[in-house]
Amino acid sequence: MTYVLNRLLSVILTLFLITLVTFAVTNILPGDVAMMIMGTQSNPEALAGLRQSLGLNDPILVQYAHWVGGLLSGDWGNSLIFKKPILELLSQKIVASAVLVVMSMGIALALAIPLGVWAAVHRDKWQDTVSSSSALLGVSLPDFFWGIVMILVFARWLGWFPSSGFVDPSLDFWGTLQHAFLPALALGLGLMAHLTRMTRSTMTGILSQEFIRVARAKGLTERTVIWRYALANAIGPVITIAGLQIGYLFGSIIVMESLFGYTGMGWLTYQALLNRDLPLIQDTVFVIAGVVMLTNLAVDLLYVVIDPRIRLG
Amino acid sequence: MKDIVSVDHLRVEFATDGRTVVGVEDVSFTIAPGETLCVVGESGSGKSVTSLSLMRLVEFGGGTITAGSLNFERADGSTLDVAAAPSHVMGAVRGHEIGMIFQEPMTALNPVFTIERQLTDGLMLHKGLTQAAASARALELLQSVRIPEPERRLKQYPYELSGGMRQRVVIAMAMACDPKLLIADEPTTALDVTIQAEILALINRLKRENGMAVLFITHDMAVVAQMADRVVVMYRGRIVETGTVTQIFENPQEDYTKALLAAVPKLGEMKGKPAPEKMRLIGDEAARAAAAPAKARAPKVLLQVKNLTTRFPVKGGILRRTVAQVHAVEDVSFSLNVGETLALVGESGCGKSSCGRSILRLIEPTSGEVWIGGRDIRALDRTDLRRARADMQMVFQDPFASLNPYRRLKDQVAEPIQNFGLATGVELDALVLQLFDRVRLPRDFMNRYPHELSGGQRQRVAIARALAVNPKLIVADEAVSALDVSVQAQVLNLMMELQEDLGLSYLFISHDMAVVERVAHQVGVMYLGRIVEIGPRSAVFDSPQHPYTQSLLSAVPIADPRKRRFAEDLAFKPITSPIFPLGHQPAPSTYTEVTPGHFVLSL
Repeated sequence: MTYVLNRLLSVILTLFLITLVTFAVTNILPGDVAMMIMGTQSNPEALAGLRQSLGLNDPILVQYAHWVGGLLSGDWGNSLIFKKPILELLSQKIVASAVLVVMSMGIALALAIPLGVWAAVHRDKWQDTVSSSSALLGVSLPDFFWGIVMILVFARWLGWFPSSGFVDPSLDFWGTLQHAFLPALALGLGLMAHLTRMTRSTMTGILSQEFIRVARAKGLTERTVIWRYALANAIGPVITIAGLQIGYLFGSIIVMESLFGYTGMGWLTYQALLNRDLPLIQDTVFVIAGVVMLTNLAVDLLYVVIDPRIRLG
Repeated sequence: MKDIVSVDHLRVEFATDGRTVVGVEDVSFTIAPGETLCVVGESGSGKSVTSLSLMRLVEFGGGTITAGSLNFERADGSTLDVAAAPSHVMGAVRGHEIGMIFQEPMTALNPVFTIERQLTDGLMLHKGLTQAAASARALELLQSVRIPEPERRLKQYPYELSGGMRQRVVIAMAMACDPKLLIADEPTTALDVTIQAEILALINRLKRENGMAVLFITHDMAVVAQMADRVVVMYRGRIVETGTVTQIFENPQEDYTKALLAAVPKLGEMKGKPAPEKMRLIGDEAARAAAAPAKARAPKVLLQVKNLTTRFPVKGGILRRTVAQVHAVEDVSFSLNVGETLALVGESGCGKSSCGRSILRLIEPTSGEVWIGGRDIRALDRTDLRRARADMQMVFQDPFASLNPYRRLKDQVAEPIQNFGLATGVELDALVLQLFDRVRLPRDFMNRYPHELSGGQRQRVAIARALAVNPKLIVADEAVSALDVSVQAQVLNLMMELQEDLGLSYLFISHDMAVVERVAHQVGVMYLGRIVEIGPRSAVFDSPQHPYTQSLLSAVPIADPRKRRFAEDLAFKPITSPIFPLGHQPAPSTYTEVTPGHFVLSL
């Protein structure tokens, strides 16, 4: 329980630091919100008036307090380019990205764990070489390359999946999955490499431990020894890495969503950056950072469930 | 009666880097029902490969049985050749008809499963029991290995149990399906001596009650003397000699067996001898050992420790504040004379290593005084402390970990000399050469790297490095514990020889009572951070006064099959925790002097 409280406390502290950094960075960026709204040719008096009403003339700390206060009270401001409340915008896009992220992580784990276990069981044999070279191939090529390959092969030539777009899951859930599949596969291939290596090295270490020999000496089948006794111990570190990769994944989706015209958080961030929509940039960056934080918190809490030493210690 | 096991001309090979290495060769022996066969040998003798072959577990370590047969008498009366059995048949034999115990109780249990799950899965697999029936049997098993509070243990995870309790669980697991044969591979090597005594007694009782045969693998001749009916001595993958335990101990035929037995110290053999004696060695080392006469010196104090206390903080809570303290060393006082050895003995966690390190200020003591040659070590600033370290050096347990794998040995021995600016150039080379001669390492080793040496040779390098700065005091922390017995004897003799020639003082930290009895002038017994008894070696060993010293000495196995001690179940008092709340002020250590120089902690 102390452990969980500790982790929650550190999450709150980090979120606070994130608001500071995000705010500071967006304020250093060149560009003027009022000018963005009214256009470069606008009347200087009207511009000054708008500045005043937006609070841009207030001291920087007051602006910061205003922003954080808004975040807490649910008033996240309006997007300049979409002319919509940011909170509404984000809540739509985050669903799209969540589908993509969960799917790509699922694909990555579904490929990496068996491949890593297979390599560890046949360590230093041809299976190991096959596994590590395919993992290396996945990570050596940038994931937008895989995206292009996916579009060519599965959308263009085979025509199995749509090449771009997004469908709202409340309208057509199956359609959502179909649209998310190709970008998710491309992202998953990039993620897989690290996870395969992590699974392999953790499993290798665990398979050489005494309790594995004891399990074999009990007459348990190899399947039980490897998939129950060993994997139960290896899964923790693998999930930790997977959690850390969620952060990396949010970086990658900016490219991948734009490539596939998949209108999620990544696509939104890209649009916001492209159009200097400062309020939107500020809020998206905060949300992405927050999601990464919360994922890692979830992973740590999952660890508590998996490992009795943390649960009870 | 028919033998349960008959191994005939076993040969096991390992394939590494395209080469074939022979693990064991031409190994043959039999085990009768109800008999304990001990396979004894030093590291690399192939004793573990032999035991793993019987379970066909050797193939998981890259080995292959290439010749010979391993016949095992199954419960249904048929004979199975383990070497040729298909793997599903082996699955039915392992853990069912043959049970196995391993060396490391700390890692032998799966950390993420409960004790209950690990005890029941074998029962459900082999005996087809339901979960409930298996759980009931698991409880019975824990009771039969005499674990306190067995009901609670079932629901616990391995990390919640002490090493001794975990080894009892491992034994319970091995015994779960009433095996006809129990293989115990160094089952007590990683345990403290009192827990070792309990486990050995437990194995003896289970064997008596169930009539099973035991194959007991060990490197420890004293354990062999205590446990074996018959003995197989192995060396470099081959059997050297086989015989009953009394034949092997009282009338060994082969030179290797004789040398091995000679090198083993026997507790109690120093009775009535005034000074430490060199270890017995057979061959050319023996003459040298006998040649050196013990010089008598007028006693002069080198090291004086007064009320030394070292505590470690235990951190906890959200702010990582200190919530309690480990009282590692608690009000310890003693003195060590020039040219003498003071041994600190005790079980793991008693504070003996912390005490040695506190004296050198490798860890900062909390309070107390340390005087070496009239200098107050605790009052020194960093620069002076660095200089003072030339007088006090340390030799650690693991010579491989204490040497830098990337540097030539001569550079590592030269390093302390350069650090203290004692010599340069030709003079430095000459000094290093002398040191290699001194510890009897061939001069061509100077250009080698640590991995090219054996454990004993590495420990000689570590000693040469400690000697390089002409220290007065050497703290040897379990310095020979990781070495094979014949190598251990050689290194001990080297240390005693250096003491005679150079007048060195040793603070000899060890858990091995038999070794301590041979090498020490003075002995201090530590328990929960305190010295409970200290005095001349003969006083402490011949008339131990403190109950802890007495139980410690009664737990040590004696390398003599006619002095058996572990027939009945033993239960030593478990060591309580040295962790106390903040502000806990323990009573000072007060001693009673029973005979001159022999002090016992007042209860």
